[in-house]
Amino acid sequence: MSAAITAAPPRARPFGRRFGRGLKGLAGVLLLLGAWQASVPLVGMSSYFYPSPADVIVAFADLVRKGILPVYLADSMIRYLTGLTIGALLGVGLGVLIGLHRTASLALSPLFRFLFAIVEVAWIPIFVVWFGYGVKTIVLALIYVVFFPVLYNTLLGVRTAPQLLVNAVRSLGGSRLQVLRLVILPSALPGIITGLRVGAGFAFRGLVFAEIVAAKTGIGYLIFEGTQSQQTARTIVGMIVMGLLWLAIDQFYLRPIERATIQRWGLTVDAEQQA
Amino acid sequence: MMLRQPAIATVCVIAAILAYWLSGVAAAGRKLAALEPLPPRASYAVTLAFPPEQFHQLRLQDKGRVVEVRERTVYIMDVSPSAAHDIAHEYWVDSVTPWAGR
Repeated sequence: MSAAITAAPPRARPFGRRFGRGLKGLAGVLLLLGAWQASVPLVGMSSYFYPSPADVIVAFADLVRKGILPVYLADSMIRYLTGLTIGALLGVGLGVLIGLHRTASLALSPLFRFLFAIVEVAWIPIFVVWFGYGVKTIVLALIYVVFFPVLYNTLLGVRTAPQLLVNAVRSLGGSRLQVLRLVILPSALPGIITGLRVGAGFAFRGLVFAEIVAAKTGIGYLIFEGTQSQQTARTIVGMIVMGLLWLAIDQFYLRPIERATIQRWGLTVDAEQQA
Repeated sequence: MMLRQPAIATVCVIAAILAYWLSGVAAAGRKLAALEPLPPRASYAVTLAFPPEQFHQLRLQDKGRVVEVRERTVYIMDVSPSAAHDIAHEYWVDSVTPWAGR
């Protein structure tokens, strides 16, 4: 049965091609840095208003030397991973429940549609009132952000599971649990992974905002505090670290997981691979 | 096979965290070697390699009662042995010396 719905895994890109792509990406970054550095004397403003790449490198080294960046990075990642994990588990669990049970769908769908419209930014002040400044508020905001994309994509995956395969398992005497394990969940997996990737991106943005409002540590706080203390270069370090972190998470976790699920099932094609 | 990349990345991250932690433990041992055995509650002068920022003061405040900051040194009271080890574990702490307190 699994052979009928399993496509051959995509071939890995040759190392030379990947290396060439990496070099081109690096060239783009270096070009931007060169233009930025060259523009500093032309702009002619103080480093508070317009820090140069050299200022940012000095600020980065200073933050590492003083132990600030490693702690902020660790705090942000712990919050992010906690929120992402809990939000994803809740999203998948309730997505499967709503997808399979009509009563649950009738009871919960309107509520979730209503809550979906209220962005996490609106919740954070209330969370601060209820839970105070700190980890709880940030993690709750992240759970909220991750939950809906995972929920709706899981729901879509569950509802579009091939009825033919469901009937086949049932006609062979399969239990509801076996239908879920052998058909529904594998069919929903591409949707779950898509939801996870979207939710992971949203959560990353949510993390910055939540840390600005409700934390005294973290990369979001660094971004905010840098401008407050007139250390704009630190703000830019925070922004660059956020960008690099996301690139690393996407490159080393989300993309490989997506490749191992979505493309394996033959449902999508990596547009970049075609480029 | 396809998930080799996340597995390698995870192992690298864990290895980096472990190396950081172990180097901190070794550094704490060196910094506190002359003070062992540590008393149940004590006061210390914690010297950094630079003037402490709010971040460092808050971190030290979690470990005891910060009573004074003078140039690169933070004076802290009511520090337990485990908190003293935590302080010495930080790589930005140059030295931890006994202080008579107030």
